[in-house]
Amino acid sequence: MHHSVSCLSYTWSFSRSSDGPTEPRMRNPSLIKEEFLKRWIIALRRCTSLKKNMNILERNKVVKLSADLAMASARNGTTSWSRALIANATRDNDNRILAEQILGPESEILVKRVSTMPFKTCNRRKIRSKRILKRSCSSAIRRVRKTVPRKVLANCIAKRLIQKRTHILKSLVPGGEFMDETTLMEETLDYIAYLRVQVDVMRSCTYC
Amino acid sequence: MEPNLGTIVRSISIGPNREETGLESLQFREEIHRLMTVPPENGSSFTELLQLPETQAMELLHSAHSDEVVPVPLSGEPLHGINDDHKSYLPSFNGNLTFPSNKVLIERAAKFSVFASGEHSPETSSVPSDSSANLEKVKSEPAETDSNPNSSQLLVSDPAVNIKNQRSEKRKEREKKGKGCTKKSKIEISQDAEKLPYVHVRARRGQATDSHSLAERARREKINARMKLLQELVPGCSKISGTALVLDEIINHVQSLQRQVELLSMRLATVNPRVDFNLDSLFAPESGSLADSNFHSMVSPLLWPEIPFNGNRQQHQQQWNFDALHRPLWGREEDNHTFITMENSLLNYESANSASLHSNQLKMEL
Repeated sequence: MHHSVSCLSYTWSFSRSSDGPTEPRMRNPSLIKEEFLKRWIIALRRCTSLKKNMNILERNKVVKLSADLAMASARNGTTSWSRALIANATRDNDNRILAEQILGPESEILVKRVSTMPFKTCNRRKIRSKRILKRSCSSAIRRVRKTVPRKVLANCIAKRLIQKRTHILKSLVPGGEFMDETTLMEETLDYIAYLRVQVDVMRSCTYC
Repeated sequence: MEPNLGTIVRSISIGPNREETGLESLQFREEIHRLMTVPPENGSSFTELLQLPETQAMELLHSAHSDEVVPVPLSGEPLHGINDDHKSYLPSFNGNLTFPSNKVLIERAAKFSVFASGEHSPETSSVPSDSSANLEKVKSEPAETDSNPNSSQLLVSDPAVNIKNQRSEKRKEREKKGKGCTKKSKIEISQDAEKLPYVHVRARRGQATDSHSLAERARREKINARMKLLQELVPGCSKISGTALVLDEIINHVQSLQRQVELLSMRLATVNPRVDFNLDSLFAPESGSLADSNFHSMVSPLLWPEIPFNGNRQQHQQQWNFDALHRPLWGREEDNHTFITMENSLLNYESANSASLHSNQLKMEL
């Protein structure tokens, strides 16, 4: 996991590609991990105080949920995926109470901030209209394809590939459905960093 | 001849060719403020991009003494120096001065300026007459201090700018192909044009000047820049060329990470009858397994009361927990040596120096 840890310093080891040593600076991996662990432990404690004996599925869910919420609250609403995570968690009513308990006293502020992000409702309409457009376009493309010269065809195929993959990536990153490409990239970066931290911390927890 | 970056903190010491005093550095400072305030008025990312490649072009033009590897300390000072270095490039458009250009410096300076101009216009638009104060304000934005509220924003924008930088540089090089001088003159001209209230953008050779295509191009470059950064992050992606394959790798990576999280959480859930497992399970085996762990575990709780841990006063046990946790993860890391702040030095048990230092402190206090 050394590689993953050192990779977390990507933003500041800019010299890595050009000349020399990696320079972990501000948000170095240890700080992130520490932050995450602290929040996670607090969240888990809050969960267990609610319900003493949980079966395995519940524990699983609790562990994941608390980890997600811990990291998302660490971001404090600055990144889109964190907002989406919180929004998803608080959406279903059965999870909601648990999530709010986990988030603790600041949960209301956080939830409010998340809900005021106006991305959900307008984007649903956008998504629907996009889908309709895509469907109509794809049928048009299929018709055109036979008469189009090769270079353009290859270009089209490449574009389609990229579009498909972007779509998949959007489904992977929480809250990614509603983003444009540039923000999607940024969110993916952040999300990957978070996932790495999570994996590292959890791994060390299990192996101790 | 080349002053080390550590000493290029004050503008005065920059560049052996310049005998400028602080007065000129002030001049440069004002110039850079002027330049930095202009782009936010334009508000177009393309000008930001232009600003970036200009530094690259400067580097290429002067082809100065690069490859000065300098570790930048955590303080805000290097940014000060970087700023001055960046400034020093701009008047050199007219002055033909050569400076020891550290690639790192340039790119960081570019990143710094673009970041300052693009992302935080409130900071840069308020240019007080006291340039140093502004410098510090602007400095503190991308400053690598432990400020979490800004952190993720920086996380997002810094890599973007970094990669934009790299990417645009590469692009410029690719597009040059023997048209070098014309390109650079265009960059210079367009850079001068940035000082105007609106943008005169000189198109690159062989490309349309349509505003749509410009915007499209800027957007494309942004996306490519971020993709480059993602490539660096995901292991094994740097060799792959082509967006689709890189995206493939990224998707695989994200999926595998998510699966790992699932697995691990399942394992955690099965192993522990109660979810509140961390303290006990982390303490007991840790103290036995590691060689010097007993020593450190004794050291740490006693040290915690002395040295306040900044966000973490809640429970000493939790802090202890961090030590125990972090040790196995970072047993192999040598990067921790750059930590300067006290709380970080406490986590630095891997380096024998700090450990012995702490023990000495402890002994003295006892």
